[in-house]
This record gives sequence, structure tokens and C-alpha cells, in this order.
Amino acid sequence: MPSPLDLVDLPFLRTATIEVLLLAVAGGLLGAWIVLRRLAFFAHAVGGATFPGLVVADATGLRPIVAALAVALAYAGGVHRAGTRVGGRAADAVTGLLLVAALALGVILASDVYHSGARVDRLLFGTLLGLDGGDLAAAAAAAAIAAVATLLLGPAWLASGFDRAGARTLGAPVGLADALLLVLVAVAVVTALPAVGALLTTALFIVPAATARLLARSVPGLLATSVTVAALQGVVGVYVSLWADVPPGSAIAVLGAALYAVVALARAGVRQLDTA
Amino acid sequence: MNALVECSGLAAGYGGAPVIHDVSFAAGAGETVVVLGPNGGGKTTLFRALLGEIEPMAGRAQLRDRTAYVAQADRTSLDFPVSALDVALMGALAHGRWWLPPSRADRRSAAAALERVGLAAEAATRFGELSGGQRQRVLIARALVQDARILLLDEPLAGVDPASAEGIAALFGELSGDGRTLLVSSHDIESARRYERVLCMNRRQVAYGPPAETLTRAVLEQTYGSEIVVIDGSGDRVRALAVQHHDHEH
Repeated sequence: MPSPLDLVDLPFLRTATIEVLLLAVAGGLLGAWIVLRRLAFFAHAVGGATFPGLVVADATGLRPIVAALAVALAYAGGVHRAGTRVGGRAADAVTGLLLVAALALGVILASDVYHSGARVDRLLFGTLLGLDGGDLAAAAAAAAIAAVATLLLGPAWLASGFDRAGARTLGAPVGLADALLLVLVAVAVVTALPAVGALLTTALFIVPAATARLLARSVPGLLATSVTVAALQGVVGVYVSLWADVPPGSAIAVLGAALYAVVALARAGVRQLDTA
Repeated sequence: MNALVECSGLAAGYGGAPVIHDVSFAAGAGETVVVLGPNGGGKTTLFRALLGEIEPMAGRAQLRDRTAYVAQADRTSLDFPVSALDVALMGALAHGRWWLPPSRADRRSAAAALERVGLAAEAATRFGELSGGQRQRVLIARALVQDARILLLDEPLAGVDPASAEGIAALFGELSGDGRTLLVSSHDIESARRYERVLCMNRRQVAYGPPAETLTRAVLEQTYGSEIVVIDGSGDRVRALAVQHHDHEH
């Protein structure tokens, strides 16, 4: 069993640990807004939808983040356009339809065009090896943007999510703020791709916030708990990933799901005691 | 009279045939107007046209001062982790620099607004844990923090117990005393007498004027059609109830 100190001592693990801590800030903060604004499906889908971009980048030597960003922004634009035109549940259908199309395109590209083979695994579930300064810089930028956006746009996101019709009369540009939220989620999710992969960005962007949502009584409380849970889950996940030799994305996802289940059960138990 | 709310020859809808047409009325500062009509009669469509969410298909719909829309409390996100004070504070977004965190003055104004609606003691209570009437008051407090001069209230008394409804109606009187103009959509014909003006709508404007002139048997029958139950039409004052349906118009 590896020593937990390896997380600090071994250079590649140190890089991975810093990476997940930075991603915990971006994922924890934006995740809180994602969960409050019921954008979980979009946040999950935008990660998966980058898959064809990653396959092309992998085969052509393009920087994965750049290719993924292009696909993610196009995807966010498509969903936003559909959302403003059809609204509500129909927008969810468009989110799903575009995701399936993107995944199918990625599979065709990986299997029949570029013959990506075993590397597909890494694109889908992330890796601890090969994270570099560029990945760290991208994650740091995402963390900074998420923090600044939470400070500046948080009140508008909250008002709009609480009561959209009423918020429109407040004079703040809630429509613009909402569009920016989709863009920020798309950008931040892309920075998480190298570490956790296209299919499991949810592990850092939704699951910690969903767990925090069960506990928090205020919005600042939700933001703080969400970042803390994401950081905890991320660091322990990196360690488990090394120990069990599984991709970090899956280790973080399993831990996150387990923690959510424990908190949800404990909360249900407390409620039952309260009413008994 | 300087009208703050004015519609002239308004027709509006969502593409296709207009949902409402021939709506022409005006309300000045401090006037309270109740909008009566059956479900699907176009009350919500009228509000949406006034708020600029939908373009008029004909005529004009204008609000000439700062306006707040007060939604039905159960149309808000009741599960949000926000206190009554947090909700009132949302009104501070209207003060211009919405990207700045709420200032001390904003917090004071939110606390004062909660006090004004009689909820100072509930400032820290979670919005979702308040009663229906209390939630409605908090949303009105948010409109006060916005310093709205015109309030559009969508069925504010629906699902509120009679005692709370009485309190909210008294609050409407105070707001109108401040010179604020209130447009209140309602199902309740009896309580419509409290307002200075009644706008009867059934896809078109049936009548607009003081309660004594508008709440007549003929007007109510035109407004509600078969949904009306006249309880006592013998005297000069008609007593009537509209049959409630539980579907929502959009």
C-alpha cells in the first residue's frame, strides 16, 4: 500500500494532487450553481460531448484542451439556443440528443478513422500520468474564473434561479448572466478533462455540490461545503487511484457517489429520528 | 391624470390568434386595480405583455415607472437555501451596480422592508419553511427593496388562509398610500370590492371602472360565462362566486 506522503513526495502525484485541488475550487463553486440552477444534465453532457474533439486532438497532436474547448463551446451554444427557443423539458431533450450525436461521432472517429485503440480509455476516464504545467495553468485559471464569477454573478444567478419572472424585473441582465453560466461551466469542465476524463467530469462538478446541497442551509454554506467535499474527494481519489491502479476519474467518482449515499442515508435517518 | 400603467387597443398572444384583444385602460399613481377573469381569460398574458416579455400584436402596453413582478409564491424555488432576508435582498439587484455584493445600506433596506411587511422576526427563517401568506409578504418586501412604483401581483391571495389574506390586503392599502400603483390578478370576486378599479377580462376587456359600476350581474356573466354562480342577485349589490378550476394558464 503506498504511503499517503507520496502525494506530496512523488512529483507526478504532487502535480495530480495540485490539479485536483484546483479543480475542486472550480468544480465545487460552479457545481453549487449547477445544482441550484438544475443544470446537472448539461454539465454532465458538455463533458461527454467533448469526446470527438479529444479523439481528433489525440490523433493529430493538437492540444486536447483546445480541441475540447471548441467542441464544448459549440455544444453550450447549441443548448443555449435550443433552450431559449423551446425552453423547459424540450431543452433537456436537445441536451441529450446533441450528447448522443457527439459520443457517436467520437466512437466512429476513434474506431474507424484514427484507430485510437487503448488511448480512448484515457480520454474517457482521465490519467494521473502526463499532467503538465499547461494542465495546471488551465485548472488554476478555471478556479480563478469560477471564484470571480461567483462573487460578481452569484447574486444574479441566485435571483434568476429562485424566481425567473420576478428576476427579469430587477434590471440586472439575468439572461446574459445565465448564458455566461453555461459558457463558464463548459470552459471549466474542459480543464478537468485531462485528469478525470470526458465521461466523469460529473464526479467533480456535480456530485460534491449535490452532497453539499443535502447539508447546507445557506448559499455561502453550500459553496464552502461543496468546495471542501470536492477537495476531499479529489485528493483521496488520487490516492486510491494510485493504490488500486485505476484511472483517477473513476476513483473520484466512486468515492463521491459513496459519500453522497452515506450523507443522504444519514440525513434520512436523522429526519426519521426527528419525527419519531 | 398621469397614467403609470396604460394599455390602448392591446392585443397579445403567443403566435397564432391573440389570447387577449381590445384591452384599453389606464391607472395612475397610488391606484389599485384588480384584474378579474376566469382561467385562460388572459390575466397572465396581460401581465406578460405589460412586462415586455411578449410583443403586443396590436396596440400598446406601457409601464412608466420602476416595476416589480410578484410571482405566486409557489412558483418560486421553495427548496433554495435562502432566508427571508436573502430573498428581500434580491431586490437590491435593481439598484444599478448588480455585480457588487449587497452593501450595508442594501441589508438595512431589506431588513426594513421585512419589518414593513410584518416579518422582522422571520428574517433568518428559510423561505421554503414560511407559510404561504408569509412567503407572499417576503416577495412584496423584495419589491419594496427594489423600490418599485408599480407592482404586478399574480394571484397573491391564492392558497393563502383568510387571516393572512386580510393582512396582505391591508398591506396593499399602505402601498397604495405610498403612491405605488398595484395591479393584482385575482379569482375572488367578493374581495375585488376593496380595490379602486376592477378590470374584467375574458380574452378581451369586458369592463373597467370602480367596483360599484363593474361588479354587476351582466358584467360578471360576460366575464365568467358558465363559471359564475350568482349567490344573491336581488339587491343592488350582486354577490357571486367564480367556480375555481385548478389548471394553470400560461
